[in-house]
Amino acid sequence: MPESQAGVLDATARRELAREISRLARASAQSVLRAAPVPMVPPARRIGFTGPPGVGKSTLVGKLVERRAAQGVSVGVLAIDPASPYSKGAILGDRIRMDQASGDPRVFMRSVSSRDSQDGMCNNVADILCAMEAHHFDELVLETVGVGQAEHAVKALVDTVVLLMQPETGDAIQALKAGILEVADIIVVSKSDLHGAPKMREVLASTVRFGAQRAVGWTVPVLGVSVETGKGLDELEAALTAHAAWVAANRTAAETQARRACYRVQDLVLRRLDDQLSALSPADYERPVAELYQRVLEGLRQT
Amino acid sequence: MSLAGKRILIAKPGLDGHDVGAKIIALALRDAGAEVIYTGLRKSPQYIARVAVEEDVDAVGLSILSGSHVDLVRDTVRHLREAQGGNIKIFVGGTIPQEDVEPLMTSGAAGVFNASQRIEDVVAEVGRLLDDA
Ligand SMILES: Nc1nc2c(ncn2[C@@H]2O[C@H](COP(=O)(O)OP(=O)(O)OP(=O)(O)O)[C@@H](O)[C@H]2O)c(=O)[nH]1
Ligand SMILES: [Mg+2]
Repeated sequence: MPESQAGVLDATARRELAREISRLARASAQSVLRAAPVPMVPPARRIGFTGPPGVGKSTLVGKLVERRAAQGVSVGVLAIDPASPYSKGAILGDRIRMDQASGDPRVFMRSVSSRDSQDGMCNNVADILCAMEAHHFDELVLETVGVGQAEHAVKALVDTVVLLMQPETGDAIQALKAGILEVADIIVVSKSDLHGAPKMREVLASTVRFGAQRAVGWTVPVLGVSVETGKGLDELEAALTAHAAWVAANRTAAETQARRACYRVQDLVLRRLDDQLSALSPADYERPVAELYQRVLEGLRQT
Repeated sequence: MSLAGKRILIAKPGLDGHDVGAKIIALALRDAGAEVIYTGLRKSPQYIARVAVEEDVDAVGLSILSGSHVDLVRDTVRHLREAQGGNIKIFVGGTIPQEDVEPLMTSGAAGVFNASQRIEDVVAEVGRLLDDA
């Protein structure tokens, strides 16, 4: 990787980007639509890390980013944590696991709360990633907790999805049922220094092998990684490089754009739909479903 | 008192290794609706300032038990200004002798809390100070 100044932010740019992310994370659907289109810049390479709570995503991202930065690569990190359903407040705990990397001038790191979003993302996440991209990072990294729909959102927003699974859990079967494995481009068995990791790797590898072939020419690798011992990190970096090459050869920019645009529209419409539904009162629900359906559709059209 | 929509960084500069107090205040602020980021132990004022700006927080709460609070607050204020985060408010909590409160306030702290204060009162005061902004 070439040593470059792209994506190395001075104090002013750092402050500006930080502010812009806050603005976008709070912006209503209408105001995002009103805003000027984001200027086109050469897109950064986007990598998503997802998996169940506590599986080791932030620790791994922190270590990888530290290594990338040492190689001269600039990286923007967006880490999304769930909000407390009671207070809407949140402890954004990803950053503390990345503190080796987060002092580096080549790194920009931001934590956001998923607040009230349905899919584990934060509002306007697509726009936030574009705003980061406008600062010319070589790579963007997105961390999300894998809950239900989150994996599919990640898939739409990044080029490479890394799914983390923990050793010694029944997760392989659960994940298979939920269709989670299908979104993964690379599967990592995290904390491979712990007992049970080889077994988990075996189960996952055979699950992937017998699962429906999803992408022609790309075999999803199942890697054991331990940040604790450093084992598997080189293999993971190699797999990321290999997948980037595969994407470059097999996916057009237009396809990527289409997928992201589709997610964006869906996200905005679903938020409007949520607004409509939460405006209905208990008395409204005594009306026939067909009537409510019509009313919600009309409500969507009006705005 | 609601801190909904506010972002607060809880940071531990200095050398002491106790962060129970910092974690308790972090949870209380979250329960009041704030988004709270915690830095972990033994961070430099420069690092804290950078994180505060990057995370675009409204306030930084410094938890200090090591006794060098006046210097640490002064350094944090300076680094925040250099990082263009001069508008970010600073709170200080820990074992702070009464006679140090005044020097801390003149160094740029917006509020100073003592370990003996009720947590509800601390949260309410943080909310009040952030609302004036
Ligand atoms: N033994 C071992 N523990 C690890 C390893 N990586 C992470 N952990 C531990 O796993 C716990 C969770 O790590 P995180 O990186 O916060 O996990 P996460 O997936 O980001 O968690 P959430 O963001 O809360 O969903 C921490 O206590 C880490 O120290 C590893 O390689 N080996
Ligand atoms: Mg995390």
